Amino acid sequence: MKYETVIGLEVHVELATNSKIFCSCSAHSYGADPNEHVCPACCGMPGMLPVVNKRVVDFGMKAGLMLNCDINRTTTFDKKSYYYPDLPAAYQTTQWFAPVAVNGTVEIETSNGRKSVRIKQIHMEEDAGKLVHDIREDTTHVDFNRTSVPLIEIVSQPDLSSAEEVEAYLERLKNLLRYAKVAECEMAHGTMRCDVNLSVRPEGTDILGVRTEMKNMNSIEAIKRAIEYEVARHIDAIENGTEVLVQETRRWDDIKGKSYAMRTKETAGDYRYFPDPNVMPVVIDDEWFNAIKETLPEFPEVKRARYAEEFGLSEYDADQLSKSIALCECFEGAVSVCKNAKDAANWMISEVMSILNARKMTYDMLNIDGKALGEIILLVSEGKVGRANGKKILAAMFDDETIEPAKYAEENGLVMSNDTGLIEATAKAAVAADPKAVSDFKGGKEKALMSLFGRCMKELKGNCDPQVLRKILIDEINKQ
Amino acid sequence: MDRETLRKLEMLNQLSLTDEQKDEVTAFFAKRDAELEIINRIDTENVERMVHVMPIMTVVREDTVNQPFTREALQQGAPETDEGYWCVPRVME
Repeated sequence: MKYETVIGLEVHVELATNSKIFCSCSAHSYGADPNEHVCPACCGMPGMLPVVNKRVVDFGMKAGLMLNCDINRTTTFDKKSYYYPDLPAAYQTTQWFAPVAVNGTVEIETSNGRKSVRIKQIHMEEDAGKLVHDIREDTTHVDFNRTSVPLIEIVSQPDLSSAEEVEAYLERLKNLLRYAKVAECEMAHGTMRCDVNLSVRPEGTDILGVRTEMKNMNSIEAIKRAIEYEVARHIDAIENGTEVLVQETRRWDDIKGKSYAMRTKETAGDYRYFPDPNVMPVVIDDEWFNAIKETLPEFPEVKRARYAEEFGLSEYDADQLSKSIALCECFEGAVSVCKNAKDAANWMISEVMSILNARKMTYDMLNIDGKALGEIILLVSEGKVGRANGKKILAAMFDDETIEPAKYAEENGLVMSNDTGLIEATAKAAVAADPKAVSDFKGGKEKALMSLFGRCMKELKGNCDPQVLRKILIDEINKQ
Repeated sequence: MDRETLRKLEMLNQLSLTDEQKDEVTAFFAKRDAELEIINRIDTENVERMVHVMPIMTVVREDTVNQPFTREALQQGAPETDEGYWCVPRVME
């Protein structure tokens, strides 16, 4: 019998705010000492009242609009019963009855074509703290730095049916949320986490099989491996009776390549959600809603089409640049200065992206100023700096964002020389030093010129117009 | 409320009740269930959801960092701390 897989995802995304969701403690505790960013509110001390961080609602709305959701103009917070020491209040403040965004769609593209994945809801909530179990045998150590860091949870309908679709969906989510600058979405940093709800059923039927939820996957590759394993386990259980499938939460062990039962799956009723009496309803009026709508970025496909139409870029170039908002901003900054979109696209794709790849940086980690790149492109196109030296300036900018290209070129001897006397003297010396290359060139070996050319360029530190040097070199050879 | 439901509630609330307490809780919920049954009979078909008992909305704060409390002050009442952590009985085998 043939089976099909039914997958729904719950994706937690840490919002890029400065402070926590309900108190003014810093939301960034990377590298901090334990419990350095805590206060009575996020420590769950009795009597403390939460105060909603406006930017969390801004970002929740923005994420909802990016995912074509309807925004609940009155959105409320609820308590979710939760007894574990990483949340000290014994409940999580989340949204259940009126989440900030509902009924959205995310378009994905895979080898099977385009597909629309329905979004059930996006809700805002607080993160839990961290537990450390290996300091002492008899205790668990608790760090509340991450407690109350703002998250959104994006809940999809069970519309996905393969690991490939899940990958496309997650990449699309990352791309859209990064475009809107609401989140970093880096699985390796824990700023994007994903739970996979999965079942299998006979192909073509609409019966839902036993659903399991998998947690603890920290990369898209691990998610793909976990899905493949879990699908095989379900089919094996159905066909061969190897085990009885039960609705449960399972933990993925990526090293062993297996999933393990953690606990029987809770149902919503088990969490005993109830309206949080400490947080009044958040009412989003027209002014607030419209202000957020105005900050929405162009969608990647709109940018792609505009780059092709407005700048005349090839489909490939437009596609490459629109992969990341950081690339787009750098490119647009460069164009605003050099006024040559094709040149800027060429520098972005052949130089900037190569440096990012060589340094194992993602496109979103791009830290150079587009306007400075535009200045480099101008310096090169105006013949003030050779292309090779332009690349050197660009590479230096990756290490020091404050570099001003023209000043750096001046200070580091990278400015093109107009001193023909110096070029002639260099060519003369090169010709005298390599008579074999001279005779080879005269004998018709074009390549021999290149060795002389390279020698001169090295001597001149690349600060020479290649056409001028070539002409002077040939003149010098002909004098021999 | 049957004993199975009570057992589940005990587990969810991390409680362990004596037989006497179980009888007490069962009797309490029997009364509440009867009251809820009356409320459930009300037709709420076209009634807008009440989001809060008070007709007020929340105030929001700007996203700025301010941390007036020190860890030492917060941990003064803790039964046990270690290297800046709060300590609780081990929760993992």
